[in-house]
Amino acid sequence: MTVIVLIFLYAPIMFLVIFSFNSSVTGANWMGFTLKWYGELFLRSPDIWEGFKNSLIVAVFSSLTATFIGTMAAIGIHWYKPSFRRYINFNIYAPLIIPDILMGVSMLMLFVSMRIRLSLFTIYLAHTTFSLSYVVLVVLARLENFDSSLLEAAMDLGASEFQTVRRVIIPMALPGIIASFLLSFTLSIDDFIITFFVAGPGSTTLPLRIFSMIRFGLSPVVNALSTILVGGAILLTLLGRKFLKYILAGEG
Amino acid sequence: MRRSFLLLFIVSGLIVVFLLSSGFLGKKLYMYNWAEYIPQDVLNDFRKETGIKVIYDTYASNEEMYAKLKAGARGYDIIFPSGDHVSIMIKEGMLEKIDKSRLSNFKYIDKNILKKITYDPNNEYSIPYMLGSTGICVNKTKVREYERSWSIFERKDLKGKMTLLDDMREVIGAALKYLGYSVNSTSTKELEEAEEVLKGWKENIVKFDAEFYGKGIASGEYWVVHGYGENIFSEIPEEEWDKYDFFIPKEGGTLWIDNMVIPKGAKHVDYAYKFIDFILRPDIMARICDYLRLPCPNTEARKLVKKKPIYTIDDLKNCEFIADVGEYIKLYRKVWNEIRFGY
Amino acid sequence: MKRHDIYTLPILIWLSLFFTIPLSITVIMSFMSSTPYGGVTLPFTVGNYVEIMKGRILAILWRTIRISALSTLITLGLSLPVSFFMATSKWKNLLLMATIIPFWTNFIIRIFAWIFLLGNNGMLNNILIQLGIVKNPITFLYNSWAVVVVIVYTYLPYMILPIYSAMEKFDFSMIDAAMDLGATKIRAIFKVMFPSIKGGITAGILFVFIPALGSYAIPELVGGRDSVMLGNLIAWEITTARNWPYATALSNILFVSTALALFLYLKIQGSDGK
Repeated sequence: MTVIVLIFLYAPIMFLVIFSFNSSVTGANWMGFTLKWYGELFLRSPDIWEGFKNSLIVAVFSSLTATFIGTMAAIGIHWYKPSFRRYINFNIYAPLIIPDILMGVSMLMLFVSMRIRLSLFTIYLAHTTFSLSYVVLVVLARLENFDSSLLEAAMDLGASEFQTVRRVIIPMALPGIIASFLLSFTLSIDDFIITFFVAGPGSTTLPLRIFSMIRFGLSPVVNALSTILVGGAILLTLLGRKFLKYILAGEG
Repeated sequence: MRRSFLLLFIVSGLIVVFLLSSGFLGKKLYMYNWAEYIPQDVLNDFRKETGIKVIYDTYASNEEMYAKLKAGARGYDIIFPSGDHVSIMIKEGMLEKIDKSRLSNFKYIDKNILKKITYDPNNEYSIPYMLGSTGICVNKTKVREYERSWSIFERKDLKGKMTLLDDMREVIGAALKYLGYSVNSTSTKELEEAEEVLKGWKENIVKFDAEFYGKGIASGEYWVVHGYGENIFSEIPEEEWDKYDFFIPKEGGTLWIDNMVIPKGAKHVDYAYKFIDFILRPDIMARICDYLRLPCPNTEARKLVKKKPIYTIDDLKNCEFIADVGEYIKLYRKVWNEIRFGY
Repeated sequence: MKRHDIYTLPILIWLSLFFTIPLSITVIMSFMSSTPYGGVTLPFTVGNYVEIMKGRILAILWRTIRISALSTLITLGLSLPVSFFMATSKWKNLLLMATIIPFWTNFIIRIFAWIFLLGNNGMLNNILIQLGIVKNPITFLYNSWAVVVVIVYTYLPYMILPIYSAMEKFDFSMIDAAMDLGATKIRAIFKVMFPSIKGGITAGILFVFIPALGSYAIPELVGGRDSVMLGNLIAWEITTARNWPYATALSNILFVSTALALFLYLKIQGSDGK
């Protein structure tokens, strides 16, 4: 089953990789091997790199912020009965339901009325906002049925609350935290509609660039970039396995 | 500890983001435009001559661009809306007036084109950039016999191989032209007739497509598409161009025109003037036309063009500009709701 | 304010500022009228809601729900065994990355890749024809099924990740124990493991079903002439029709009905960290 799903997940990716070496612009028919798209990507595509850089900056910071705030919130919701519980719950579920385009328009109106200059910063604010729901729900799911006697034991042994959180809860919730970071990162790096509205002059992200080329100018250069991206990510994962293991093992 | 590091990391990161995005270095012109509409080397040359760097932000449709500006987005110095949206933006007070005396190359624009412009008579707010027509492209290896007419969409034997644009005004405009009416008709009766025509066309098309049709016809997925010639031919390798026939139907079609405008509140108006004048310069305009393979709106530049455009200005005589129809747009929406959304 | 509120304070401030206020804007706007060029104007009216109720929107709504529900079910069906495999595997982190990496490529080119794979002139059809399995290409695309396939593809990680992270904490020896006590494997999994991963499943369902309801690009790109979903309609009302009050009213109807369904679901489902 897992193999089938992996094939399903990677079928279009394989297609992208193969056709990043295809000399045809359109890419449905094989017209011979070429590296010209890679040449084009590295030599003549400053816009694509600029967009890629912007996307990466926003994705990294928004997912870090969302993971941090969201994890804290999940811990608070799970163990302590916070004030305004219903209101918080509403605010966690509700963003999932609003169609992206409206979220984009209304956030833009908010930023305009608050006189926040549209820039990468406003994209960052928007992405963090829509990632929060995902983080809280994933971490909460992880904390569910967690044996709270461990917590009491830690407290009994004289651990401060901060120490308990850091040494017991965080390591325990870590797979959830990592999963939610990855989800937020993925959401952010691929978002188009909300970003379109809250982006300012000079802060075009990669999806914005690609979506605007959809009618005109979308070439295998983007496939080449995707290939490098996927290849790089796989390589990093393989190399970073030990490192990841170390992080996952935590300090606790 | 780890968490405080994280926090520090985020804060410092945000500062970097701020610095990167505030763009405080050098002379910059913020342009909001269709993707790939001006070749990069033209922008490079502009920078070489004036020292002004053009920041090229992109949109995929007039409607998206307009929705964003309407919601309050600011910061662009020059935008490239089509004619109907120019007129809306004028009515909504979103544009700066343009002082043509500051544009030494304005005189090269074809007077016949200027005469046709109804959305902004005398070009007080907008300067034409490119114009062309929406037409039909046929893959001649798959469809051997056909008439150069909108009636191609009535052919049952091509069912499932054709697409119409996903664009209300273009599609309804095509049906109106087919019936011999104006693309800007405000008559309920004419629009009802157009709706009947479109119901028939819809049966034969595979979908309304504004994104994939160029790649679709180039890859053999579609055989007949309704769309913009320059988009289609950019997907097809040059040696295969003669396998495809792009035509403006004999009944005539819609005409689009994209313009350079300066939005209200633009910070770098001087740079925008310099840029517009640079684009209008015949040698530059000719390079752009060659790149897009569109007919030049600039008489002087036509002499310098090296490549044959997909169609010429003469081919466009049967065509009509899509103009803003004001309140009557409701009639169009009604037809489109019925055709596109079925409600 | 209680002392422990410090945990939820940041999210409270953040979402109040960047979500509740924008949401309120859309609610207020839905009770206003539109001007021809996309402005909104007074007086307040319920006209937009009346208009929607009058229109034949039900067909689109029904199609939207059908497609989203089917996609969610398929995604769940695929994700449970995959997450189980991942959680019990030695290579969990590797597999975790493997499921997420494809989604770091751009959405639009992934969908284009699907079109080139499944199109009438696509790779799959060409292979089938060359193998002599079919004579004429099968039309995979341009219908609601294609929309379902691509929604499943797009949202798979949003189902797998929460279920995986909930499952990973589960002590799998419990299943063996239950089987020793005479339960079948399936029964053991359902009775013993299910309760502890309920939250993960709920989160996964929410992450797939609700965004699917708002799908916009997928039906536009791989759907046919009649695969319009509610998201397309809302986007159209905002951009081309320039009728923002109507669009916000549509979205509010979607919002209220989804919220009600969600509320009922969470009630029936019992707990959820409350």
